[in-house]
Amino acid sequence: MKDLDKPTKSLATTFDSKVFTLIAIKKAAYKYIRVFSADITMQGEQINCQLTFSSPVSEEEGGRLVEDFKKEVLDQDLRERLKAETEAVRNVILAHAFSKTGLITDESLSGD
Amino acid sequence: MSLFQGIEQYQAPTAAYQLLPFRFTSLDQDQYVLTNLAGEYLIVDRRTLVELQRHQLSSTDPAYCDLRARHFLMDASSLIGPALLSLKLRTRYHRLAEFTGLHLFVVTLRCEHACPYCQVSRQSEDTLRYGMSPETASAALDLALRSPSQHIKIEFQGGEPLLNFGLIQFLVQEAEARNQRLGKNLAFVIATNLALINDDILRFCRDHSILISTSLDGPRDLHNANRPRPGGDSYERTIAGIARARQVLGSDRVSALMTTTEASLPRVRAIIDEYVTQGFTGIFLRPLSPYGFAIKTRSYRAYNAERWLDFYKQGVDYVIELNRQGMDFAEYYASIILKKMLTSEDPGYVDLMSPAGIGIGALVYNYDGSVYASDESRMLAEMGQEQFKLGHVLTHRYEEIISSPNLLDPLEESFAYSAPMCHDCAFEPYCGADPVLHYALYGDYLGRKPESEFCRRNMEMFRYLIRKMESDPFVKQLFMKWANR
Repeated sequence: MKDLDKPTKSLATTFDSKVFTLIAIKKAAYKYIRVFSADITMQGEQINCQLTFSSPVSEEEGGRLVEDFKKEVLDQDLRERLKAETEAVRNVILAHAFSKTGLITDESLSGD
Repeated sequence: MSLFQGIEQYQAPTAAYQLLPFRFTSLDQDQYVLTNLAGEYLIVDRRTLVELQRHQLSSTDPAYCDLRARHFLMDASSLIGPALLSLKLRTRYHRLAEFTGLHLFVVTLRCEHACPYCQVSRQSEDTLRYGMSPETASAALDLALRSPSQHIKIEFQGGEPLLNFGLIQFLVQEAEARNQRLGKNLAFVIATNLALINDDILRFCRDHSILISTSLDGPRDLHNANRPRPGGDSYERTIAGIARARQVLGSDRVSALMTTTEASLPRVRAIIDEYVTQGFTGIFLRPLSPYGFAIKTRSYRAYNAERWLDFYKQGVDYVIELNRQGMDFAEYYASIILKKMLTSEDPGYVDLMSPAGIGIGALVYNYDGSVYASDESRMLAEMGQEQFKLGHVLTHRYEEIISSPNLLDPLEESFAYSAPMCHDCAFEPYCGADPVLHYALYGDYLGRKPESEFCRRNMEMFRYLIRKMESDPFVKQLFMKWANR
């Protein structure tokens, strides 16, 4: 039987680069910067994350944090997809919103 | 068996819709807050979010109509969505083109109080050299009236500004005279502890429509402990001053602000009761800022974001309870955030603006003629950090001050829309950049948001207000009222 109270300083987890982007994993790691630092490396099509906790945690707590990290990667991945899909319409809305305010200049007019 | 088939029998299993830009952040285990480009929010569960993104959401799904109405998706019947979003976004940012409506004049650093947490690093009353001269005041007024904003509010601060009341009279009369040809909407405020108020001062305030903003920290013992002065009678003078000021100026011309010290934390109900007793119609529950004497005396570190949030939530819960009993009483910090959440207006509150409110929202003219990007910038300078000093009223032109790298660099670097983590955060439309606070605490304009108390405190406040609204129709109605004040 595993000792769930045993303190641990570091845990590893992996992601498939065909499924998740590196940027989504980096953003998720940034969000957890207070709890752990992440060494992120690529091995073939696998993205390895070595998570080093700011202070030792029990194995149970460590496992929970890794699960939370994976969920955050899923959320970040979803955000990346949304952003890519809506980028064109976002640019149209922003351009239209500020087109008559004098807050942006027309590059075609101001360019050399 | 029903005689009629359901509407789903006549519709395609999934609707053809296009996603509009939005962001999402978790509210709790399964619920997410979605915000569109204009800051309107909607709560959905994870299943709905994933189906929405995969274009698998049925048009008969209970969330579909709300998602369409609030511009998270558009279909053949809602092609106007992007145009409406543009309009709302433009409304939200309209202040940017008409910048700097608030101008703070520090007419003296002297003060007869000796508050341990004082945010202005006050000098003692008898030190005459800390007063603004008429020459400096005149040049500062020139700069203030150059601002593009049509609405100019001039606030007199200290120290205790009434210790230099002659200069206030000079500035008010000069501003009114110079504004004859400019035609701007001028407003004046004196931020005073009221200890030195008298009828002559009040008559001048009445004749020139000057508002009074005072400090009231709570019941007598708490207020006097927070605000020591010779005689130990700060509370008595403040209460008497409020009564006299209301008599001469009218009740709506006198407002009060409180500062949360460690001693305030267990007493939020008593503080609110004091405001109710004194006839105020609301209270601004605000945390201590990490500047001036607050940080020198470690007052700021006396409580963290979590303790302040407990205090704040207890306070808002109590204010809601009072309203449920029929009293009309508001919490102003929540009102500012709710205006951002529930309307297309931005209240222009300097701490919750992005681009940051420094310079754009307010400019500060110190007693010695130095110009700062905000009141907090000036307090930071009192601590020896002149990172946000923009120039001097006698030696710099308006153009040099407003385009100073000490203003433009922090504005650009702290812009939340392009800051790590903020960029993806659903609460970004409600939040602010606050480069001065981050510089004071972390040494750079941005700070790391996962470690930022500012971020932690605001995120929890946004979640708390949304949860309150979503779980109680009475609160939703009350919050709508606060948002539209």
